[in-house]
Amino acid sequence: MSLLLALMLLSQNYTQRGFVESRLTLYPEAAVNDSAHAVGEMQVHYEGFYKPRFDFQIAVALDLRTDTHRQTERDLRFDWKDRERQRPLLSLRRLSTQYHHRGFTLETGKQAIRWGRTDIVNPTDRFAPRDFLTVVDNEFLGIDAVRGTYERGSNTIDAVWSPRLTPSRIPLNTQRWFVAPAGVPAITIQRDMPEGSQSGVRWSHVGPVEFAAAYYSGFSHVPSYERIPGKFAVREFYPEQRMAGGDVAVPLRWLSIKAEAGYFTSPDSRFDEHLLYVVQLERQSGEWFFVGGYGGQKVTARGTQSANFDPERGLTRTILARAGYTIGPTRSIAFETAIRDNGDGVWAKTEYSQAFGQHWRLTTGLSLIQGKPSDFLGQYRRNSHGLIAVKYSF
Amino acid sequence: MNRRGERASRLASCFRAGPLPPGEGGRSPGEGLAKRPHSALRATFSRREKVLAYAFPLILMLLLALPALAQDPRTIVEESQKRSNSTSQRYEGTLRVVDAKSKVSEKRWQFDRIGSHGDSKSVLRFLAPAEVKGVALLVINHPDRSSDQWMWTPAIARERRIALQDRSTRFFGTDFSFEDLEERDTDQFDFKLLGDQTIDGAVCWKIESQPKKTKISQYTHSYVWIRKDNYVVAQIENYKKTVLVRKAKYTDIQRVQNLWTAQTIEMTDVSRDSRTILKIEKLQYNLPMRDEDFTLQAIQR
Repeated sequence: MSLLLALMLLSQNYTQRGFVESRLTLYPEAAVNDSAHAVGEMQVHYEGFYKPRFDFQIAVALDLRTDTHRQTERDLRFDWKDRERQRPLLSLRRLSTQYHHRGFTLETGKQAIRWGRTDIVNPTDRFAPRDFLTVVDNEFLGIDAVRGTYERGSNTIDAVWSPRLTPSRIPLNTQRWFVAPAGVPAITIQRDMPEGSQSGVRWSHVGPVEFAAAYYSGFSHVPSYERIPGKFAVREFYPEQRMAGGDVAVPLRWLSIKAEAGYFTSPDSRFDEHLLYVVQLERQSGEWFFVGGYGGQKVTARGTQSANFDPERGLTRTILARAGYTIGPTRSIAFETAIRDNGDGVWAKTEYSQAFGQHWRLTTGLSLIQGKPSDFLGQYRRNSHGLIAVKYSF
Repeated sequence: MNRRGERASRLASCFRAGPLPPGEGGRSPGEGLAKRPHSALRATFSRREKVLAYAFPLILMLLLALPALAQDPRTIVEESQKRSNSTSQRYEGTLRVVDAKSKVSEKRWQFDRIGSHGDSKSVLRFLAPAEVKGVALLVINHPDRSSDQWMWTPAIARERRIALQDRSTRFFGTDFSFEDLEERDTDQFDFKLLGDQTIDGAVCWKIESQPKKTKISQYTHSYVWIRKDNYVVAQIENYKKTVLVRKAKYTDIQRVQNLWTAQTIEMTDVSRDSRTILKIEKLQYNLPMRDEDFTLQAIQR
């Protein structure tokens, strides 16, 4: 078996890439439930692709992580499902087989699936749970799925079926990104994880104007909460969710307009039925790129849930902007901001990045968060931070 | 003598029976033929030989007229494209980006193309540096309008269309803009021959090309130098009004599978005083390639 694996790795049909990254995040302020001012993280990410035939590929991606703050488990166990609250020490990010014949592609296994066209908020991106342990600096998680894509001319049909929900990883209740009101003792959280499958279909068209229509039926990958009567506890649940939506990109003479919207309904009366939308303008000029837009929501029927953790909805009624400047072939600087339209919350981030040689990159950044405690962004006002990251890519 | 040999012999004899230059004792075919009676002509030449006898002077005239036709700038550019024509192309390119402060960064990509000039599709995939490995650009060229371009970034698992107004942007920190990566179809440009100039010791036609109104371009006009000896492009200067924006120099010209090809392209971004040297390696033409590998789905694989 090991000989077979070695032969595969030495084969010309095998390609690989990855990185080792070390990050240090410094928080000047202590949070109510977290007095630490520094968090160190280490991640080894590896991706391998074996292509024994022109029409068949096996892809694998693994993450090995640790940190100083117990955001990552300490036990070495192999995690396939990605359903635990802590990050696994060793996790499988992707293991899929991909077969294609003419315009048809079938991918089966753990994989990343992205829908939608906008950049900052993606209402139709339903198969893309995220790791929100650091809310403003999140990353995507893979899901178990069978995905069939048929592309003919300028039209593509994408059908996805996933046997189970992979939830987004939300902030740990012992840490600063979980905002606990001062003076309130810790409460018990009872987690109800749904066991049903999820599925969706998307039709997209490329041409002078690009557009897509999508339908999703499954569960919300971010949790909602309700009080458990008679107990000092809350139930964390992932409500059933249906989404019908679409996206469009219109290139104009001076800039591109992109828009994306999704209407969310549910047979679960606890869930808020709502419309989520985003409109953004995009332009690249010289060494600059700029993306600016507005994300909004309209709740059409209020559910009975007590609360929910939904960063996408949290970033609505917000002016969003991102800009970047390439200083040189190895250096770049980026700015990102989200400002609530009522001024209750502001998040601004700046990042400088420089490559050294073929493999090394240094990134430094500063995130400033201000606002009222009642606001989604404002609640993280104690979490302004600085970041230093060193990355070795191979 | 086999059939082919017989035919070749007939052609050769026919040519031998053809005109000798005046003053060398020859007479024109017309002169000779006019003096013979029609029946004698029928007896002497077969039908095929008669056709060849009449066609030969016409072919000769056309051959003699070719240099004159070549003075038409469009014909020169078309001939240059025709001579570099292939059904597909693959190479690995090493890029050295040297900025104004002489800081050097290196990149490497694999380039695949299927189709011919103006109606081709290409995929450019980065192999190095490691942090951009897998990033791919799909370019679909159209004969009647600007190309369509999409970029695939595996780290975020998203493809992004490169809008027309963004094509003047530098491509991934190199001195090539996105527009420079698309093919220039002759039908989308007007040409003017400006004369002859020598580039690196080779005599070249200097041609001005101007995009037609239907073609959206960051450049108002370009000067193209095409070598007279092998019709290979030696240099291109791209202008915005009177300002020189980018200059591409094609050197190390070698014959690969009967196609003269520049193995080194040096692109200079004049305003930034930065240059990118692209070295072409492992170049192959006319490889079997599939159309299905040049789609949005394919670049994600």
